[in-house]
Amino acid sequence: MRARRRADLVLFLGPACVLLLLFYVVPVVADIAIAFSDMGRTLQMTEATTRNFERLFAGDRRLTEVASVTLLYVFGTLALFNVTYGLLLALMTTAVHPRAGAFFRTVWLLPRMSPSVVYALLWAWTIDPTETGLLNQVLHGALGLPLIDWMNDSPLLLIVFVNGFVGASMGMIIFTSAIRAIPDHLFHAARADGAGGLAIVRHVILPSIRWPLSFVTIYQTLSLLVSFEYIWLVTNGGPFYDTMVYALYVYKRAFESGFYAYGAAMALVLVAVGAVAALAMWRFMDMRALMQRPRIEVH
Amino acid sequence: MKRTSFLLIIAVAAVFTANLAAPSAGAETITVQLWSRADRSGPDRAGNIVRAAALLNKQFRAAGVETRVAVEVHENNARGYDGDALALLKAFAVGRGPDLFVAAHEWVGEFAEAGYAMDLEAHIEDHPEYYGDIIPALWEAVRYKGRRYAIPQDSEVRMLFFNKEMLRRAGKDDAFIDSLPARVDRGEVTIWDLSRLAKELVDGGIAKYGILHRPNVGPDFLMTFAAFGMRFADPTSGKLLLETGPLGEALRWFAWNAENGVTPRNNTSMSWDAVKRSWYDGRTFIFHNGVWNVPEQIRAGWPGEEAAYFRRAGWMHVPPSKLGGNPANLSHPIVYCINPNSPRRALAATLAGIASLHYFNTIHAVRTFHTAINHGQAAMPAYRDHWALAAATPLLARASFMPNHPLFGRYNAILFKGLQGVELGRLTPEEGVEFITDEMAFELGEEVIVR
Repeated sequence: MRARRRADLVLFLGPACVLLLLFYVVPVVADIAIAFSDMGRTLQMTEATTRNFERLFAGDRRLTEVASVTLLYVFGTLALFNVTYGLLLALMTTAVHPRAGAFFRTVWLLPRMSPSVVYALLWAWTIDPTETGLLNQVLHGALGLPLIDWMNDSPLLLIVFVNGFVGASMGMIIFTSAIRAIPDHLFHAARADGAGGLAIVRHVILPSIRWPLSFVTIYQTLSLLVSFEYIWLVTNGGPFYDTMVYALYVYKRAFESGFYAYGAAMALVLVAVGAVAALAMWRFMDMRALMQRPRIEVH
Repeated sequence: MKRTSFLLIIAVAAVFTANLAAPSAGAETITVQLWSRADRSGPDRAGNIVRAAALLNKQFRAAGVETRVAVEVHENNARGYDGDALALLKAFAVGRGPDLFVAAHEWVGEFAEAGYAMDLEAHIEDHPEYYGDIIPALWEAVRYKGRRYAIPQDSEVRMLFFNKEMLRRAGKDDAFIDSLPARVDRGEVTIWDLSRLAKELVDGGIAKYGILHRPNVGPDFLMTFAAFGMRFADPTSGKLLLETGPLGEALRWFAWNAENGVTPRNNTSMSWDAVKRSWYDGRTFIFHNGVWNVPEQIRAGWPGEEAAYFRRAGWMHVPPSKLGGNPANLSHPIVYCINPNSPRRALAATLAGIASLHYFNTIHAVRTFHTAINHGQAAMPAYRDHWALAAATPLLARASFMPNHPLFGRYNAILFKGLQGVELGRLTPEEGVEFITDEMAFELGEEVIVR
């Protein structure tokens, strides 16, 4: 029996532990080693030093601006798209005819299914500040409005939209499956009690999908904190430092400036911030209670 | 793309002919690995090495030698030479460095310091047949701590292109228009005069953009900073130099242009395509670029014949900031470096030497509008009859080079970031100076002297 239990442990936990070790523990250990070194553009390490952390906390004057851009970007994208709009899409596509719902979900999945470079190129064309840009063709060419330059006028909002159009679909899929899992009799009972559409959402749907809501919020916060792919492709952190989120700043300091050790020190801070944020949200959203063992087990 | 394909074809052809010409089973093929950035404005940088190998193979065949030389070209797709150099440094660091590589000259110091670029003094002295006619000024571009670590591959001329038709529409006579480059050269027209002229054209609705520059970091801006009297390296210590006085003046000029609609505030976020297209379409008065752009202009509809071309466009240096001052130009040679740790370093150096010969370098020069590296090329019919190169060569008289300091790439990138902040209106010129000083102190530390 004990041997069986051990075999089960290895079988079920083993792959996850190996993945965790390979793709989290080993990189973090390597990152720590580089962060406390002087590795520069030639990738050579000649001494152990804490200079990178001194520079990070005392010398880098761009950091405050970068941190505030990151906070606005992460919470703006979450609030506007990844949670709120994802939920809205799930509610609307489950409320309409199943075929229409499936169609709209597919449309919203297209940005996620497109290669990121293609998606970014489409955005570059859309926001081109000249008459050739898609937005300007419509607003300026067809409606006669002045030319707009989204990249320069509202760059932060732009990266929220660029990431949000991709990010909303994940919440949409998870919320849709959660809404579909709510037993039908709850809806019937609510209708019988005279509940309208909004009352059903508030009193039936939202309480039933609390776990997925919390999960998507935590997962997407962490994901947005470390992702910069679309920002890099569309604005490259600019204009100036207007869309320079922390993860992109780390990348640029490390791979464009060639300060690998300094980049590693900055990345280490990101690992710590991510871990603290995850634990804090886990506790704040009471995920332990939401993940507790079922009280009835069916055999 | 076409040129890349062409390059691949000749590379494959070289290997193929090398194999065909090796009848004996015991024949040896030596493969030289070449790293070159995939650059539409210079496919022959790699192509000429492949041609050099083909020539060697012909000579081996004639001498009955069974050894053959093949070239394996790795074309890196980095956006610019800085990104390419960083990728190459990584390749060296993990033991996968090539035998021979193409780099921008300002990176020579970094490669030499890291032990990845061979000291070529002895090789150059031993081979006057390859290097005896090279324009002496170009050797300065490859010198680091007094020694030559690379071989110049090309030189180039950068300039301000200006649209003469716009000036005519504004009522300027031909005498004024045609004398503009000469007056700039004599220091009779300042960079501020040029901005005011550009503003006149923009305000009059003749030009959409007064002055457009490249949207990304690059050597062009250094010409502008140099026109304000800025020097980039301290000649005595060899360290980088940041002169805040001229820097502030230059940033005030960029700010004035942006505030007065001469340069669009978003110039640095425009695409290259948009920047170039507005010059090709006749919407820009001044476009800061280089002679290699002329073929693109001709493809876009500008006259291909010399007289007609210069009826529509003119070329000039960046004018000085004060009357009587010196205008600025800058040449940015690309170079060949040899890996000193390669067992094939002598062969690699020989290939670079052959590729530097007049015949081969002229193929590159005339195809991609780059100026020659050898004096004698000027007498070769293909070069002599190339009107754009003939017209551009006199501009080289004012050319300077970037310092060969290992951190100059970062220096240049920080300057660009600062001027971008000023042009966008995110920073005042004074804040721009503070930003640049602060970033340089942070990234370059004691390697930069701030005055």
